[in-house]
Formats: sequence, C-alpha cells, structure tokens
Amino acid sequence: MSDRAKLKLTRRSILHGLGATVCLPWLETLAAASDSAGRLPGAAGSRVRAAYLYIPNGVADGGWDAAKVDDEGRLLALNKWMAPLEPYRSDLLLPRNVWTPRGNGHSAGTATWLTGHHYDGKRIDAGGASVDQLAASKIGGSTLLPSLELSLRGEGFFSKSLSRNTLSWLSGRQPASRETVPRVVFDRMFRGGGRTETERSVLDLVLGQAGRLRREVSDADGRKVDEYLDAVRSVEKRLEFAEKKSKAVSDDRALTDTLTRPAPGIPTDHQEYIRLMLDLVVLAFWSDATRVVTFMLDHGQSNRYFNFVPGVKGTWHALSHYRDFSGKTEDDDGITSWGSLEEKRDMYNEVTRWHNAQVAYLIGRLKGVPEGEGTLLDSSMILYGSSLSDGHEHAAKNLPLLLAGGGGGTIRGGRQIRFEKPRSMSDLHLSMLHRLGASVDEFGGSDTPMTEIDV
Amino acid sequence: MRVTLAFIVVAVGPAFRSAALCDDSITIELFARYCTDCHGEKRQEGGLDIGRALEQKPLVRNTDVWENVYERVRSRQMPPPKKKRRPTEDERQTILSWIDQEVRGFDYDSIDDPGHEPARRLTHHEYENTVRDLFGVAVDVVGALPAELEATSGFDNSANSLFLQPTLLERYLGVAERVVANALPVDGPTPLTRAARERIFVAAPSTSVKPDAAAREILARFVPRAYRRPTSFEEVEEYVEIFRVATSGGLGFEPAVKKALEAILVSPYFLLRAHGRRKSPGPYRVGHHEMASRLSYFLWASTPDDELLELARKEKLHDEDVLERQVGRLLRDERSSALGRLFASQWLGSDQLGVRVRPDPIDNPFMTDSLMVSMQEETVMFFSHLLAENRPISELVDANYSFVNEELAKHYGVAGVRGHRLRRVAMDTSQRGGIFGHAGLLMVTSHPGRTSPVLRGRWILADVLGMPPPPPPPNASELSPEVERRRRLSQREKLELHRVNPACAGCHSRIDPLGFSLQNFDRFGRWRERRGRSRIDARGRLPNWTEFTGPSGLKRVVVEQHLDDLTRQLARKMLAYGLGRQLEYYDVPAVRKIVTKVQDDGYRLRTLVLEVARSYPFRYRKNRTGVSRQEKGG
Repeated sequence: MSDRAKLKLTRRSILHGLGATVCLPWLETLAAASDSAGRLPGAAGSRVRAAYLYIPNGVADGGWDAAKVDDEGRLLALNKWMAPLEPYRSDLLLPRNVWTPRGNGHSAGTATWLTGHHYDGKRIDAGGASVDQLAASKIGGSTLLPSLELSLRGEGFFSKSLSRNTLSWLSGRQPASRETVPRVVFDRMFRGGGRTETERSVLDLVLGQAGRLRREVSDADGRKVDEYLDAVRSVEKRLEFAEKKSKAVSDDRALTDTLTRPAPGIPTDHQEYIRLMLDLVVLAFWSDATRVVTFMLDHGQSNRYFNFVPGVKGTWHALSHYRDFSGKTEDDDGITSWGSLEEKRDMYNEVTRWHNAQVAYLIGRLKGVPEGEGTLLDSSMILYGSSLSDGHEHAAKNLPLLLAGGGGGTIRGGRQIRFEKPRSMSDLHLSMLHRLGASVDEFGGSDTPMTEIDV
Repeated sequence: MRVTLAFIVVAVGPAFRSAALCDDSITIELFARYCTDCHGEKRQEGGLDIGRALEQKPLVRNTDVWENVYERVRSRQMPPPKKKRRPTEDERQTILSWIDQEVRGFDYDSIDDPGHEPARRLTHHEYENTVRDLFGVAVDVVGALPAELEATSGFDNSANSLFLQPTLLERYLGVAERVVANALPVDGPTPLTRAARERIFVAAPSTSVKPDAAAREILARFVPRAYRRPTSFEEVEEYVEIFRVATSGGLGFEPAVKKALEAILVSPYFLLRAHGRRKSPGPYRVGHHEMASRLSYFLWASTPDDELLELARKEKLHDEDVLERQVGRLLRDERSSALGRLFASQWLGSDQLGVRVRPDPIDNPFMTDSLMVSMQEETVMFFSHLLAENRPISELVDANYSFVNEELAKHYGVAGVRGHRLRRVAMDTSQRGGIFGHAGLLMVTSHPGRTSPVLRGRWILADVLGMPPPPPPPNASELSPEVERRRRLSQREKLELHRVNPACAGCHSRIDPLGFSLQNFDRFGRWRERRGRSRIDARGRLPNWTEFTGPSGLKRVVVEQHLDDLTRQLARKMLAYGLGRQLEYYDVPAVRKIVTKVQDDGYRLRTLVLEVARSYPFRYRKNRTGVSRQEKGG
C-alpha cells in the first residue's frame, strides 16, 4: 500500500522536474560535458534522438487510417481510436503500406522488427544487429549510455520467450538484455559515477584475463569471451563518462533537487508503470544520457488482461482474434466471452487507443521540454507501431506505424504517406539512421532511404 | 497408424540402407516444382525454407522440419488443394518414400561425434548456488539479475541462450559486492556468517605475518575454488595486487581482501565455463577439471567441491568406478535437489507457476502465494525423492504417494496433514500420485479461466512422452466459424470437430483424447466430479486407439504402453540438461545407449542419471571450427 503511494509521489517528482522547472542550466551543463567528450554531430547538426516503441498483436483493420486527409496527404483528422494523438497531429507522420517482407508475426516479427531480416529460432539468429544497436555503435560513444533497452515485464504465456521479448540485437546472434525495473534504469543514468582506484584496477585486471582466455579457448568458444570483453569495455566507457558527468551534475543544484529515484520494484498499476518508464525515456533524451531507446510496451504475444481499461474485458492477444468472439477457442481464457464480433473488435481497438494515449503522453512530455530554438520533440524521432497489421489475420502488409517528431528539422510531419507499392520498413530504418548521424548505405536489405518523409 | 518420425528415429535400431529407392535429383526437382515457390529462398510461408533444409545434410539434422513436411504431404494438406499445380500420386509417393528413407533409414551408427559443449556463462541459478558453496552462505542473486529468457532448448542452462551483455556485467559488479557484503558482514555475525568468515579468512596479519602474505594465503585458497581448477602463482598474485591497491587507497586488511574477492567474482574465469583448446581434429576426452565441473553443474547446478577437485587433480574422474561412485555421492548430497528444482520443473513446466500463472487472491482467495510455492515444491520433492531412492521411472507416473503440506492437502481434499512442511503422504491413486495429479502441472496446462484438453494433451504427448505433434497448419483457425455456429455444443463435442477437418484430425485425434482423461481436474488442479450440471466425461484414448478412463486409466496405459517413450524422453531431456545444449542428430546413438542400459536395469532413475554422466557426449568433445557440415549426406 504505502509502496504504491510512495511511487506515485516519486513519479510526480520526476514529472515536476520535467515540466515545471526551468531546466536549461542543467541541460547546458550536461551538453557541455558531453561536447567535451567529442560528440559527433547529427545529420542536421543537432542532437537527434530516436525511440522505437513496440506494441504486439497488431491493430484491427481501419484502426490506423486517418479519418480525413487532403489531396496533398495532409492529416486533417485522425480516427477515433487515434484520438489521443490528435493534439500532436502536426507532429505526426503516418506511413501507410509499409511492411517487413522477411518476417512478421508474434515471434519472428518481434525479433526482427528492428533488424529487417529473417529469424532463425533454432540458431537464435535475427540476421544482424538491430537498427538501434547499429546506431548506438556509430553514435553511442558520445553519450553516457550508447542506448537504452526497456520493456514492461511480461504477463501470461510466452513471458520467458526470447524471440517475443527481444527487439534489440547487439548482433544477429546476441540479443541485448532489457530493463524492466524503473529504478534500475534511473540508476544507470544518474548514479554510480565515482570510481575508486581499486575498481579501475579490477576492470583492467579482468579485461586482461579475458584477453588471455581468448587465446586459450577454441574459436567457437571465443565468441562468448568476446561478449565478455565487449561488456567490460563498455562498462569502462560508461564509468569514464559518468565520472565526467557526475562532476557536471554535482555542480548543479537544480538537478539534485529535482531528480528523485523511483521506488524499487514494479508499480502494480499498469499505467503508472508505463508512464514511469516513459518519463525515464524523456529524462534520457533530455539529459542526453542516451540518444537511442527501444521500448517494448509488451511482449510480442502479450496476453495481458486489459480489464482495467473501461469497456474492455479479456486479454490483448485474445482480443486481437476478434473474429472468434465465442470465448471458446484456444486463444481464450475460458472466462471471457463477447456478444458480437463488433463488440470484441471495439475492445481490441480500445486497447490500441489506450496505448496511443500513453504514446501521446510521451510526445506531450517531449514537446514540453525546450531545447535550443525548439523542443525536445523537434530533435527526436519516435517510431511507434507493431509487427502485425490486423491481428486476427496475422496480416503482414500495411503495418501500423507512426513517426512522431521533427528529427532535427528534417521530417515534415502532419501527413499521411500512402505508398502505392508495399515499402520495406528497412527503408524507414535507413532514413532514421542517417538522421541519427550513422552513415550506412544499407540496412536490413534496403539501400533506399524513405525520402518521402523529408521536409 | 503412423507413429511420428521423431519417435521412430530413436526407436529403430541400426537402420536398413536399401539401394536408393529414388534418386535425390528427382526428388529435389519435385520440391522445386511444387514447394519452393512458397517455401524457398524468396518466400518462407510458415517459416519453412525447403531449399535450405535440403542443403543441410544429413536430413536428420532437421528431423522436425522433415517430419512436418512428411505429415503435410501425406495428409494432402500440402501443396494446398487450391493450387493448380499439384503432384501426381506417384510423385507424392516419391517424395514420401524419399524422406522416409533419408530420415527414418538414416544409419546413426555411422556417426562419431560427441558434439561440442560451447563456452557459456553461469546461469543465475548456478551463480547463486556457486557463491553459496564458496562462502557457505546463501545470498539471493537470481532476484538481483535481469530475468533470463528461454530459447528453444527449454532449459535455462542452454549455452546458446546464455548471453553476456554489458548491462549484465554491470549487474555482476553490483552483485559481487552484495554477495561479499552478505556473506562476510561487518556487523551482527550469525553462526553461518561466522563459519563463512572462518572458511575464507584462513590467515590474518600479525607481527610475524605481513598483510600481503596473509592476503596471499587467503586468496591462494579461494582462487582455485572459484576457478574450479588449480591456479598458478601469477593468477593468485593478480588478486594480491588488487588487495595492495585497495590498502594503499586506505582500506584496512579485511575490506581490502573483500575487494579482491569481489574482483574474483567478476573474473571471466569465474563467470564463464570455458575450457582450453586441444588441437585435435577428432573427438577427444575432456580434461579432468572440466569433467569435475560438468558433473557438479549437472547434478548440483553448482561448483565442484573439494573432493571432486582433488580427484580431478589426481586425474581419476574418467575411471569408470570412480565416476560411478562420484555420481552416487553427488546424488546423495542434498545439493542434488537442483535436479528437481531446475531440471524437473523446467522439463515439466512447473517453473511457469508464478511466471505465467500468478496467484489470484481476489476471485479465488484460496490461490495464495504459499499454495503456489507448495505446488512447485511438490514436483521438486517428488522428483528428488525418486532420484534419492532410485525408484523406477514408471513411478513418475504411477506413484501411490505424493508430497504435500496442510495447505496443499486441503486443496487435494486429503485430511490429517498439519503444518507448512511438505512430507510424503499416501494418495488415493484414482486421483493423485504421479505427475498427472500434481496441481501445479495441471495449472500450467490450463488457460486462466478453464481447463484445456488440448494443452494438457499436447503436454502429455510432447513434453512427457516426447512424441510431439507437428505445429498446427496455417489455416488452423478456419474451424472457428464452424465452432461459432455450434455454440451450444459441449467442449468435448466442439473438439470432436477437429476430427471433421482433415487438416486438424491428423494431430488432434492424438492430442485431445489424452487431455480429456484429466478433465476431473479443474484449472487449479482440484478434483471435481461434475462440471455445471453434467458429470465429467473422462474417457481418453492413446494415439494407438487404446481406450481408458480418467487419471488412473491414463497412468495404467502410459506405464503399459509408453514406458519406453517416457524413458527415452527423460533420457533426451536429462542429456540436454546435462550438456547444457540442444541435442542434435549425432546424439541419437548416446540416447539409445542410455535407454538400453536403463531398460536392462529395471528402469531405475539413478541409472539414467549415471548413464548420462557416462555417455559419450558428456565425456568427450569434438572441436568446431565455425559453421561446419560434419557428415556427408546419408
């Protein structure tokens, strides 16, 4: 009981820090700190950030099309399920008829949503590093954390399934681990700066040992040792960074006053949980702790109950199979049934709308933080969507995708772009990579950036 | 009645190799004509790429894939009836007999490959047990590390899913500190931590002993244990150096030694189980210290103890009688409960309680955390008991007892059990006794709101007996409109519709009837005679059409007709767990050998464990150089 109350308070404190205070001095201090570390300029010369937000189970047919678009594709009205995003219409881009030609669905689709490849579950191979990790490897050296991988803790079947719980891949054969606990995320960004001489020696020591071990083992085993080596190196880097930064942070009284650690554990209220994590995304971007974030709003086949959303009953995955409304199929829980297809589909859409509202919250927060001439949203790119379109059909074409933010003044929002021929999502990934300042020619089978999103 | 290939593959002895019934090129041509448009390089409908599978010789490398292809072609689901271009009857037979010959007829005796147990990090459980045994104090580690995800092997100790990311290493740094602080607290020593202190601080600085020398003595004891092998002077000296740096930073003797201990706990030699390379093109026996680790992590999920390390040092662990005695000794030790706690619960699925199935204190107030824990504990203790007493494998299914405490006994309607401690209690065998009556297992094979004969049937068939049905066809949900029109049918009648549709019937006629026999257990695993107004109909049927009723009938027919399948499945699972990797086709001879030995020894469970430890892949390895194609096509 009291834990929860505390948590609410905590979240409000963080929000307070975000919205209400004038935060510019801190920001500049931090910016100066990271500049001195030799930051690479983004494509547009500003610090462009990207967040990839994933939802499972797709969106019902019609749930992702704008209600009104003019001849030039300008968004005049979203639809009722997307209503929470309406205030930010001019910041949104709706690319339609985009898909992932090499893999989709609950399992492979989740694992390859950000890699653009096939998924081989037996070998555990997603084909290559995911777009966020590729970006992190190119530009992550200029921030405290190269990237941040977040997820909400799963519920129900498949909560331990690797493919359904992995968006980010360090390489095709190595999934990144993800954080589900708000406090851990916070601590990685804002605590643990100082390092003693002993700790420095320990890292040097184990790094040397790993180098030795690498020479002792076979090539096949060497991969595991390489993982270890990479891990130690990146921890060293982070600690070095944190030392510089903690100096800047400790010089700044405003910061110490506004940043409060989240309580330990996971909030029982789902919206509380999701917003706490979204606040952390804003904090990450705002403080320039990282510029690349992935966030799974649920695992790839979530059967979380959404009965807490007014008018909804049942689990998300069951709802997505809205054409079976008897409540008697193997996807159902055995307690919930629905009166008609329409009723069930509306509940499925309600769950989408609920998530849209959370994403709208994030967009609103980013828009509320001034940066330079504009806002944090102007320099961000929020790619939000799913690896399925209509969940009942397990449809692969025309994925529900949305791009919010200005990408450092490089993206012209307020539009729906309907491609005549199916376009690969890899094209979009490539365009976003370029904006992040990662110069690559090819990604996930694409060498054609999606120039249609340009200003 | 066709039995699944997976079953036959292991069941038939040295297989016949008749003259080629059909030429490879003819069949490949048929696949190209009828299959690879949808299941080839360009498109992989249903995730299937036949072109790629054809390249992977011998075909038994992908037995599951070919079994699926066989089943689809046999039942005429594939190529889809709506396709214009379909194979003639002769061509169909050609495809079928070719797969049959290549997969079923494969001569496993031609293989000599113990496989390769790749380097891996300790699992969170192994880490926790290892520090418990190094310090003698249990510290919660699993809860402090990010949850581990499962890939395809089904066990969390599978090397290919044990990754070591930067974020995890950060956590290891914190965990090391926590372990040392908890095991060797500065204030408020308990008897346990006092013992830990005595165990670790075997020396102290004095007028005659310099601090460096005392630290060296302490570390020279600890490092080899942590590394699970003898260490050189230099390897210990590295940590003495950490001690020196810490003292020169102002730390006292003990805090500085603790810093060195923390460093050991993040060393790659501690966190990884990687073993030296031996230049050998062929299979070779693993070293004695690696053998010590293989044994202790298999049977204890923990580090080797002094006796194992000593035998390794004397190079005795490959002696047959020493190995047998050590397996016996390790199994008698209470640490072997890890086999129940980790192996059995992951094999049977009770580890999903609390992860997938959460307690439900609002709608069903009796479903408490403690009851769920007791349910998990029942399966753990039951398995550990069978092992400790060397009971026959059949008892896994038909025991006349189980392990319950007061709360679980009440759940089962068993009177006269008091208190929180689980103990062995005789059971009414028409309901309980054996895994089919374990509430936890009945729960994880149910949906949140009702029982599922399909899930339970699949669990019995695939997980318990190792006879997995192929995955559902892509059009599986097309039955639902049909179901929709018949809403008033009973669950059984609805599932009978599976039989109407030939796409479903092939597998569901094997799955559903097994699950129905457990319908007397509700979704919480409680016994019930009626459901609503109707009596439970618990008639069931084996895949070979033997009919029976209820759990007692199920137990009887499984023991009478599927004991060998159960034994084989247990052998396969135990070997995969013991090796920490997925089994491959080249492990089939080892599995067969284990099964034969177990059969010859009255199906004793401990014999099975011993035979896993004695098996070729457990004691040998063959180097891998990148991705290789070991054998040429059979």
